[in-house]
Amino acid sequence: MTVNGKAVTADVEDRTLLVQLLREQLGLTGTHVGCDTSQCGACVVHVNGASVKSCSVLAAQCNNAKVLTIEGLADSQALHPMQQAFKDNHGLQCGFCTPGMIMSAIDLVQNNPDPTDAEIRDWLEGNICRCTGYQNIVSSIQAGARMMQSR
Amino acid sequence: MAQVSPHTRFGLGAALTRTEDFRLLTGQGRYTDDNAPDNALHGFVLRSPYAHARFKITDLTAAKDAPGVRAVLCADDLDSMNDLTCSTLMKQPDGSMPAPRDIPILCRDSVHHVGDAIAFVVAESIYQARDASELIELDFEPLAAVADTAQALDDGVAPVFEGATSNLAYTHFEGDKAATDAAFAQAAKVAEIKLVNNRLICNYMEPRACVVQWQPDDDAFTVHLASQGVHGLRDTLAKVTNIAADKIRVITEDVGGGFGTKVFCYREYPLCMAAARLLGRTVRWTSDRSEHFLQDAHGRDNVTTARMAMDKDGKFLAIEVDLIAAMGAYLHAFGPFIPYLGVSMTTGAYDIPTMAVTTRGVFTNTTPVDAYRGAGRPEAAYVIERLVDQCALQHGCSVDEIRRRNFIQPEQFPYTTPAGRTYDVGEFEQHMSLCMERADWSGFSQRLSAAKRTGCLRGIGMSTYIEACAFSGSEPAFMQLQADGSCVLKIGTQSNGQGHETAYAQIAAAELGMDYEDVHVQQGDTATLPTGGGTGGSRSLPLGGASSLRAGRTLANNIRTIAGRELQTDPDNIVLEEGSAKVRGGNEFLSLAEIAALGTPAELNTQGEFQQAEATYPNGTHICEVDIELATGVTRVVSYTIVDDFGVTVNPMLLQGQIHGGVVQGIGQCLMEHVVYNDDAQLLSATLMDYALPRADDIPHFHFETRNVPSITNELGIKGAGEAGTIGSCPAVMNAVSDALLREFGHGQIDMPVTPLSMWQKLNSLRDRADV
Repeated sequence: MTVNGKAVTADVEDRTLLVQLLREQLGLTGTHVGCDTSQCGACVVHVNGASVKSCSVLAAQCNNAKVLTIEGLADSQALHPMQQAFKDNHGLQCGFCTPGMIMSAIDLVQNNPDPTDAEIRDWLEGNICRCTGYQNIVSSIQAGARMMQSR
Repeated sequence: MAQVSPHTRFGLGAALTRTEDFRLLTGQGRYTDDNAPDNALHGFVLRSPYAHARFKITDLTAAKDAPGVRAVLCADDLDSMNDLTCSTLMKQPDGSMPAPRDIPILCRDSVHHVGDAIAFVVAESIYQARDASELIELDFEPLAAVADTAQALDDGVAPVFEGATSNLAYTHFEGDKAATDAAFAQAAKVAEIKLVNNRLICNYMEPRACVVQWQPDDDAFTVHLASQGVHGLRDTLAKVTNIAADKIRVITEDVGGGFGTKVFCYREYPLCMAAARLLGRTVRWTSDRSEHFLQDAHGRDNVTTARMAMDKDGKFLAIEVDLIAAMGAYLHAFGPFIPYLGVSMTTGAYDIPTMAVTTRGVFTNTTPVDAYRGAGRPEAAYVIERLVDQCALQHGCSVDEIRRRNFIQPEQFPYTTPAGRTYDVGEFEQHMSLCMERADWSGFSQRLSAAKRTGCLRGIGMSTYIEACAFSGSEPAFMQLQADGSCVLKIGTQSNGQGHETAYAQIAAAELGMDYEDVHVQQGDTATLPTGGGTGGSRSLPLGGASSLRAGRTLANNIRTIAGRELQTDPDNIVLEEGSAKVRGGNEFLSLAEIAALGTPAELNTQGEFQQAEATYPNGTHICEVDIELATGVTRVVSYTIVDDFGVTVNPMLLQGQIHGGVVQGIGQCLMEHVVYNDDAQLLSATLMDYALPRADDIPHFHFETRNVPSITNELGIKGAGEAGTIGSCPAVMNAVSDALLREFGHGQIDMPVTPLSMWQKLNSLRDRADV
């Protein structure tokens, strides 16, 4: 498989989850584990371009897949427009849910370049935040969508 | 406080973006579990499946022999360890202190709640540790259990502790019983309300974790853990493990939310220390979400009856409260203090001459209860603000009118409450009126009619809360000018996501005329800072912010002295701007890097400490509108307006974010969050599939603004804001729900959480009542 554009090979137990491979074997700790039941969305990454909860997919299922994590978004010091929008609009506080929120948001905008407030809130059904009250996350995603379009 | 605009004097008030964001946005945050080295062993806690049982471990052989297992620890292996104790036992009316109920690191022969810890398995992988825990052979003898707070004191209920005669943990009284009785005897009217403040589980997004390394050479430990302050944790660990505090280095880096619940020392930290020393290997433990539900302290869980005596004009004469507060199966660290903290705010924003409040702490076979997101103050605001609405109903006036008649008036400050708190300033009627205007309170009837046409009941409610923050104390700040001209600011609070790195830097940098991004805030390491009070009670900015200002100001004066010495001019002639020290009106200047090379260590290292004598008292008005769909029982918050008084705003962007988050916690408690135990005290809501957290589509867009009246207690005028959103929100939402029901049915009492099911049942019972 490739992770953030780099070819990666690893031996894993059958039961190893993608998130465990990323965190424990590849050292990519930006993807977080927040629950055991696929509710919180802190572990969202992209597999072949679509957002996926990496706690709910086996590493072995991603054989030959292209995986993108939060670490692969920024171009050294230049944040991805969605990351920049979260910073500009205070879309994060503790930051634990943030990688999942951003990966999820980018998938939304790839399919819906100009989402409404209601569409964003509906899309975030699988991402829980306990700090922000969501309003600034919604604002961030709207701003990020505009920035992604103008890029 | 000097009568100068805080903007010009302190450089506060700018909506600066956060310096911590870059690493958090790019996956470079350092949360505790991210620190585990590849070769660390994994610990797993075997927990009780029973709420109450005697047990015996009959055979450990299979577990110890299982693949990858390096150790299995039981209570017998921890003889040198002390229990986790409660530090806040409350004095009883007869002057006695209640008996403690301490938490064993591992249970010896009986368990008292589901999730109570029995054994600790350490293995090469987490799977191996989990698998091996299932090979531990145990005999359980289940005993009767109780989970319901209201029933815990009933006759015939099984005692949580075998041999105890009752589940009463303690009784505590605050107020003046005789004066209160006299006031009730002459009251024209009495309003009464019975409320359940349901139990919550914190659910920070980052589960707790720790990583423990042991250094054999000096028998010392490095403990990475997720906390709200490393120094308190270090001291508790020293007490529990009988290891000297200077042999324990505690480090907390990024924290994924704490909300009070990460203040405490939990069992897994000393267990990892014991295993690390036994095995000479790094040992890590990470909570999963269900363990969070079972082990981490819960919040709220009060059953309250409150009564208000009024005269013929609706003026409050006295308040009487009977409070049953769940403690869980043990007395947790601050357990009994939490309801007390609420009791100390019983009278809220109102001029009530006297009070009588009886608290009974009760044991149940449940996870212990402690500080959570407001810690007692949400409970207190919920009682007084719901009761005041009931007073309006009883007296026959509007909810804003009853408040106007009873608010403490601006000329009454400083105002000492019957609980002994002294409020410094406040303009309660003014923020209420402003909030009503912003929420278009007067236009409600049109929105009500519109909602009816869509098959909904609509209600509007307010809360005019006040809370206590920061408390008396201090939090020193230490600044150092670095060789490259940047600054380091060390402080013993702990950001859990609030943005300390930005807020403190913003305050200090303004004094130094430098970019706030060049002030690097450091927290969370006992090796680099001798003491610290941690984060809790919204104390970081009122106390730490004022200390940062002082440290920055002293450093600025020293820089002017150094520059004056070098440039042969009076220090008063030196201005600090754009990261350099310039001669006023001249061309000569020194960069801060040059200053760093010229200054003495004493000049380049400064300390600031602001000591606060009394708490600060943030207050404000929340107004909420709800729709209740008659066809489904679904209740939705459709509009939410907030006008708060936080004294002085440091960074409006950070402030707004904290308020939004807090309000969503309140909406969550009102509409969905609920801990459910069955009759056997089995925890039914033990995952995020069973315990509902608010999602983005449950929440409306908020209107938030401040109407600040600077505190005269705090040097910066700051009152604190971390918990205010949570404190103001529950009564506003529930007063709105109650209002909707009252308008339709003339009867409005319903407890939190108002789920579709509970509302559906309520609507049916109200319709039945209407039919009769």
